[in-house]
Formats: sequence, C-alpha cells, structure tokens
Amino acid sequence: MADFEIKDLRVSVEGREILKGVSLSVNKGEVHAVMGPNGSGKSTLSHTLMGHPNYKVISGQVLFKGKNILALQPEERAKLGMFLALQYPVVVPGITMSNFLRTAINAKRGYDGKDKSKAINVKEFRALLRDEMSVLRMDDSFLSRYVNEGFSGGEKKRAEILQMAVLKPEIAILDETDSGLDIDSIKFVSDAVNRMRGPELGVLIITHYTRVLKFIKPDYVHVLVNGEFVRSGGPELADWLEAKGYSEWVKEPAKAPAALEAK
Amino acid sequence: MAFSRSAVEELSALHGEPDWLRARRLTSFGIYEGLAVPDTKRQEDWRQVDLKGLDLEAYAPFQQPNGRAPLGTLENVGATLRQRGTSPAVVSIAPELTQRGVIFMPLAEAARAHPELVQRYLFTGVKPEQDKFAALHGALFSGGTFLYVPDGVTIDEPLVSQFWSAGSGAAVLPHSLVIGGKGSRFQYVDEFLSGDRQEAALASGSAEVFLEEGANVGYVALQHWSIKTWQFANQRFQLGRDSHLNAVTIALGGQMARLRVEAILQGPGSSADLKGLFFGTGDQAFDFRTLQDHVGPHTTSDLLFKGALRDRAKSVYVGVVRVEPEARGSSSNQANRNLLLSEKAKATSEPILEILNNDILRCSHGATVGPVDPEHLFYLESRGIPHPVAERMLVQGFLGEVLDRITVPQVREAVDQELAARID
Repeated sequence: MADFEIKDLRVSVEGREILKGVSLSVNKGEVHAVMGPNGSGKSTLSHTLMGHPNYKVISGQVLFKGKNILALQPEERAKLGMFLALQYPVVVPGITMSNFLRTAINAKRGYDGKDKSKAINVKEFRALLRDEMSVLRMDDSFLSRYVNEGFSGGEKKRAEILQMAVLKPEIAILDETDSGLDIDSIKFVSDAVNRMRGPELGVLIITHYTRVLKFIKPDYVHVLVNGEFVRSGGPELADWLEAKGYSEWVKEPAKAPAALEAK
Repeated sequence: MAFSRSAVEELSALHGEPDWLRARRLTSFGIYEGLAVPDTKRQEDWRQVDLKGLDLEAYAPFQQPNGRAPLGTLENVGATLRQRGTSPAVVSIAPELTQRGVIFMPLAEAARAHPELVQRYLFTGVKPEQDKFAALHGALFSGGTFLYVPDGVTIDEPLVSQFWSAGSGAAVLPHSLVIGGKGSRFQYVDEFLSGDRQEAALASGSAEVFLEEGANVGYVALQHWSIKTWQFANQRFQLGRDSHLNAVTIALGGQMARLRVEAILQGPGSSADLKGLFFGTGDQAFDFRTLQDHVGPHTTSDLLFKGALRDRAKSVYVGVVRVEPEARGSSSNQANRNLLLSEKAKATSEPILEILNNDILRCSHGATVGPVDPEHLFYLESRGIPHPVAERMLVQGFLGEVLDRITVPQVREAVDQELAARID
C-alpha cells in the first residue's frame, strides 16, 4: 500500500457532486501532478484532503499513516504531516507572520503553552527562517507584517511555501501555487520546493497549466476531468497536454480565467 | 442613605469645596430630581437600552470612610492620582512638571486653588441636563482629576488616574477635567477599577477634555468595573483650531455599561481619531453612543469601535456623524465591527448621518456583525494550530487593530492580560 492513498473519493459541495470516485496513490519521495481544466474538481480535491468544512465527503477513504484522515480535524491532519498550500491564501488581519509561524511550529512540537522546553526559542526560529527566506527572496519585513495583508500575489504564494518549508510536511498539496505568478516568482517557489524534495516528502501539485512542471518535474501526471481521473502517465503526459490541452475531454476557451474555477 | 440634597451638601463639605461648586452640585441635583429615568421605548437616545433591574434607590451616594486606593507601582509615568470612592486622592507628580506650570490635582482641590479655570470649563461639555444619570453625576461626582497643561508644554510620559469603586452598594462617580493649552502635547489615562469583580455598584467615569489651538492630546479610558456595575458615563472632547485628539476607550467591565463619546470638532483643521474596544462575556451588556460633530471647516474624524462578545453578551452601537453648515471640506469615517463568539451573543449597529453641508471630502461608514471567519479558522487549523488557540489568536488579531493604538505600555499590558484570561 502506498504512503498516502486516496480510495474512491466522492465529494459534494452545496449538494452537488464534484468528485465522482477518485483514487490516487502517492508515496513519499514522489511528485504527482494533478492537472485538469477549470471546474474539474481540482480545488475540491485539495480542500477535501485538508478537511475544509464546506466540502462534504459522500464516500471513500484517504489513508495516511494507518488512519482514515477524512475523520480528522484539519489541525490533526496537519499534525500527522499534511500540508496544503492554498490557491488563494487568506488575509488574516492582526496576526503577524512571525506569530503565525511560531504558533504553527510550536503546535507541531506539541507545545501547549505549558512546557516551555517544547517551544521554539528565538534563536532557533531565526535560524530556521533565515535560509528558507533567502531561497524565496523574502526579507525580514515579512515577519512583522500581518498574515498576507498587503502581500502581492507572488508574495502570498511564497509565504505559503515558506510555511511548508518550516513545517516540514510528509505529504504536501500545492493548489495552483503557480497561478498568478510571474516567471521569477515561479522560479523562486520551484527552487524552494525542489530543495525539499526527497525520500521524506510526497508532493501533489494541482495545476491547470503545465508551466510550473518545467521547474518542478513530476514523476507522475494525472488528468482530472469532471470529477474523475481520465488518464494517468509519466512526465510525458504533461508534454502531451501542453500541446493538445484538454480539448479531448472538454470544449475550452483559448484563455480560461482560472479564477472562475469552483473553489 | 439615598440620593438627597443633604447627601450632596455632606459630600461637598467633605471635600471642602467652595460655595460655587456646592451650588452647582445642588443645581444638578435639582435637575436630577426633575428628570425621570429614561424611557427606553420612547426616547430615541435610549432605545435598545435594557434598564430592567436598575434600582437607583439601592445605592448609597457615597461611603465614608472607604479606605485608600491600592498603590501598585506604575513606571514611566509623569504623574498619578489614585482615589477610592470619595476618599482623599493620593497624588504624585514629577516636580519638573509642576515647575513647568502643569496642574494635576484632585478636582475639589483645583476648585479651590484654580476656581477661574475650573469654573469656566467644568460641566460645560458633559451637561447635567442631558439625562438623569448625567445630572446625578453632576450632583454627586465622587471626585476626580483636574489636569491643566499650559501652552507649548510637551509631556513625554503619560499622566494616569486610577479610580477604584467604593465597595459594594455604593455609587462611584469620578470626573476628569482636562485642559490642553495651545500647542501642548501629552497623554492622559483614566482607569476605572473595582476591587471585587462581583460587587454591585453604580458608576460613571466621565471626562471632559478641551484642546486649545494646536494641542495634540492622547486620551485613554480603561474601564474594568465589576461585572455587577451599572455604568452611565460620558466623554466629551472639544477641539480647537488645528488640534488633534487621539482617544482610545476600552470597555471590559460592567453589567450594563453605557458610554457616550462626543468629539466636537469646533476649530478649523482639527482632527479626532476615536478608537473603541470592548469584550463581553456572561450577561454583560454594552451601550455606545458616539458623535463626530464637524462644526468647523476642514475637520477630520476617524472612528473605529471593535468588540468581541461571547456567551450571552450584548452590545448596542449607535454612531452619529454630523456635518454642520460651516463644516466645508470635512472628512469623516465611522466603523463598528463586532465579532460574535457564541450563538447567543448579540450586537446591533446603527450609523446615523446628518449632513448639513454637502461640500465635504469624504463621509464613509460601515458596520459588520458576525462570527469568526471560518476561512481564517481553517487556514490556521490547516497549519496545525488547535481550534481554541486559533480562535484566541483571531480574536486578539481582530482587537489588535485597536490594541495597537494604546501607546501607554502599562495600559496595554493590563488589557492584554485581562483579555488573555477571559478569551479562553
């Protein structure tokens, strides 16, 4: 059995079935790309895996570390080693990035406000962030700003990857991390993700466009259309999609506005 | 002993007040006797206020003696005044400030030593005619602070008054009178406390602040009366030409705490920044009435009241922005944001605009009432932050916008501590 196994997952949003029986096996050390046109259910998949309350599981299982994680709260999934980089990271006024990151790191370490020895100290925290922030070309001023407030699109995505880097998940889901990014930002983000690749990390990249896959080379590519996987293959499938698009399955306008995809 | 003329006379004698002040108290008492308790159904200004259970007869006008105020240490302050009930206040002021002409003393003492100043300003902003409670405050104010900062004087460290309730069953009605001379610059803090969080009390805690031309004044009110206190308080700011006010009011205590905040932007070019913060639990009720009165031209006001309510706590916010006929080129903003942390918590918000001059730069208002944003919760929880921690962070973050405006570290610390203890 794979390290992370999605079995026949069916999910509805506001009473409408979006995922119609999706199965996927991801092992640590592998990078899987899930590609699909707008409205195919890509974001539903990512949000369901992380436990967003708006997505209702009809049936199926997601097995990770011997547990069906669909029964767990988002915080428990995170503690187990899952991470979701959001397509649209939310602005959280009044909470600084520094406070947010420190609290998340401490939660992972099991610090509950009592045993101070479990909490990360200032020096460690600094050291942990310094490297990752330089790869992502983020300066110190990020830390004193409120979470995502006033961040450009590229800064938000980089901040997501920074969180991933310090939380060190075992299964990371990157939801349209490349959307809305200029080519430089895609490079910084890809560099950071590639640094993290290794035998301890499985990655699920969810994307509409093949562009990001030139920088983060996937081991496997899966095509999601209308809530079902219609084709799976190796990296060559991405090249094929680059040339053909999704026209085999859907009629698509030449330039699809990605923002209209069902969240 | 109920509220009576003889109580007024006794209190005035106790403070050794001059005749003119006793006469004013008695006039206010006459107004008090002539006014009924506000009709919360018919009087617009009192609609939605729950006065059920208020029995004015149940409170002693004052207690004597009632001991001294606790004397904790306050660091980095220019002056302190501490008073418990009607007992003599304990005052300390840096000698250097006295040398520069700063007057900081109990109101009754100032009435004797500086009658010309006190007579000219006292109760001209917070008028006893306003309602029965304001009249009671005028008749039986238990003490308070007089602060005068002369023209051109800048004080770096805040001046702080602490008023303690007198004990269960007594009224505590402190009053601060603050005058900032031309071009003066300082911060003044009123703190209202109860020794026992469960004691029953009737309280005010009012302030009149006058800013002369070019004055830059910070005013902070931190209210943590007991949760069995009925509070009826008024803050009134009178702004002269090109003066700037930075006011922060924090309401944490009270069974029913009503506060009226009025900024009168009289002088051309004056500006007021008005921030409010409240946090309610149990059956607490808050009632805020604000007025941004643009009288002079090119005046600016920015108001933000934010609060979080849990359990069955309630809040009412009614805010008036008035642009008077002469107030061309004015700009105002008003926002009231409420976070409901339980199903039974309730907040209502009502903005009222009275625009009598259309030649204005901006006049905006907004109100929100709702729970913690589920997307925010999901975001924090998806990072492994447990639900209660995430909720506490979001509440603190929500209130942080106002908390960050409290520039006096001791006050900020006190508020942070109380919030941290009560949010969980």
